[in-house]
Amino acid sequence: MKKYFFIILACSFQLAFSNPIKDSIYAEKLHNLLLLSEYEYEDCDACGCSASSGGLGFGSMLNSNFVGVRYLNQSYTSKDGIFDNSPWVDENFNTVQIWSKIPITERIQIFTLIPFQHHSRELTTGKEEIQGLGDITLMGMYTLYQTHKDSITLTHKLQMGGGVKMPTGKFNEANNLGTVNQSFQVGTGSWDYLLVADYVIQKNNLGLNLLLDYTIKTENSKNYQYGNQLNYGGLLFYLLEANTVKIMPHLGLVGEKYDANKQHGQELPNTAGDVLFSKFGLEIGKDKFSLGMSAMLPVTQNLAGSNIEANYRLMFNLNYSL
Amino acid sequence: MKNIINKAIAVLAISTVLVGCSNNDDEAITGTGKLVVEFDNAFGANDLILDTQANTTSQGEVLKISQIKYIISNIVLTKADGTTLTYPKNDSYFIVDEATDDSHEIELENIPAGDYTKIKFGIGVDKAQWELGATGQGDFLTQAQDAGMLWSWSAGYKFVAFEGTFTSSSVTTDTSFMVHTGQTGTDYNYTEVTLTLPSNALVRTTITPEIHVIADVSKIIDGTNKIKLSDNNMGGMGAMIMGGTQLPLITANLNGMFSVAHVHND
Repeated sequence: MKKYFFIILACSFQLAFSNPIKDSIYAEKLHNLLLLSEYEYEDCDACGCSASSGGLGFGSMLNSNFVGVRYLNQSYTSKDGIFDNSPWVDENFNTVQIWSKIPITERIQIFTLIPFQHHSRELTTGKEEIQGLGDITLMGMYTLYQTHKDSITLTHKLQMGGGVKMPTGKFNEANNLGTVNQSFQVGTGSWDYLLVADYVIQKNNLGLNLLLDYTIKTENSKNYQYGNQLNYGGLLFYLLEANTVKIMPHLGLVGEKYDANKQHGQELPNTAGDVLFSKFGLEIGKDKFSLGMSAMLPVTQNLAGSNIEANYRLMFNLNYSL
Repeated sequence: MKNIINKAIAVLAISTVLVGCSNNDDEAITGTGKLVVEFDNAFGANDLILDTQANTTSQGEVLKISQIKYIISNIVLTKADGTTLTYPKNDSYFIVDEATDDSHEIELENIPAGDYTKIKFGIGVDKAQWELGATGQGDFLTQAQDAGMLWSWSAGYKFVAFEGTFTSSSVTTDTSFMVHTGQTGTDYNYTEVTLTLPSNALVRTTITPEIHVIADVSKIIDGTNKIKLSDNNMGGMGAMIMGGTQLPLITANLNGMFSVAHVHND
């Protein structure tokens, strides 16, 4: 029963945040979601559209074990060409993720993330859209250190983990032709490996969350290889409690650094880059549910030789505590 | 119990990493493929737009370009091992015309599979070819005639035809200009350029690389040698540069006109 609940939730999120579209298209999309099948669409990865991007975090501050859905909207502007007078193209990446962090033992948790992508861009030749199941991430998280809550007001928690991002989303070589954003894909088409460290220090109601993760990306079957990606971040959070409701605002900085992409083992020009975002938002928890929302705005950026500009990212999530 | 799970996870992690790192691209490089050379005309850092776009030179002259055509010839490719491949001479003459999209891409066929690092080509028709006489030119003579890239057989080919209107501080109304290079009584004015590719062009039976060449047409008059159209505006009738001492200077400029932006290996 619970399973259906979340699938329906995912669909309603998709409906709520997608543009008004024809019934038949919606029916097809619903069909895709329900079957979780791989369609002829793609995922995007480098330069910010990674489904597992560290700036987005691997969980919730309020509850460490959960299942839920997260909606992510990212806006970019990319140059369609190599000249100063080449047109700039607006790109809009939408992702609905079904995510969970499930305890196996006291110290071990399994993190899963199943993304569904719907991306669009306004080329001079017309609007282009891609959609479908993205790359599924599966990680094991191990709690190396955790202060027992009994007495002290200063607590620490350090988790480390590793996992894989599987090529369940389709990579379409044709989308990388030309010089527009090489990440306009629903999947990287590659097996990628993640290493994650997540540290939380909290005193009374004030806390700091430090995140560091590294993704090792491999060559896909089309001989395309996205550059390895380093994500890092620090977020301050504060817990407010009123009766049974918990409210936790957060504020901080998150950054991403990308190595150059490769094709047939050769580095591609203007594909490396870095970006630093400010991130702010809040999480509201009541009983077993928590609702989160946050926004990310770029502070400094140099993506793809300044041929891609990140505009903003918005996130909403609804989690059910386990 | 905990230990067993930890070990299991460790083994799983290591084995997936090992599987992921195994390499499978030891394919033998045999057969032949194709190679595309795209000529993308620019003015400075901007994409060239004919007729409407006002382009300013370092000499303060503003040019609107109505036509740019040039002959590309004698293509030689260099492999990573240093050996060269000379494309069959009879098939190695092309006219690139900004106004004709099809002419921007030159498709070379029967290229032995390999990793290519450099491309060399001529701008114009080499003297040896011209000396073969009209009958030795094959189809290219008609092509050049149709494209207006031939003065007359005895006067020879036009190597570059660059035309439009200009204004400057001394020439305030739109005034036409024509720059045509080719042989003069004293100079033949054919030149060759060699471009090193930023990444190798991987010609395979399954991969047709595309070398994306940018041709910055501003360099024709605004390269190492600066040529002011205003100084060539004879009696206000327009700047017509088709011979004389200016042509060798312009020919020298052509060496700096071409660069490779990137190579697609799709």
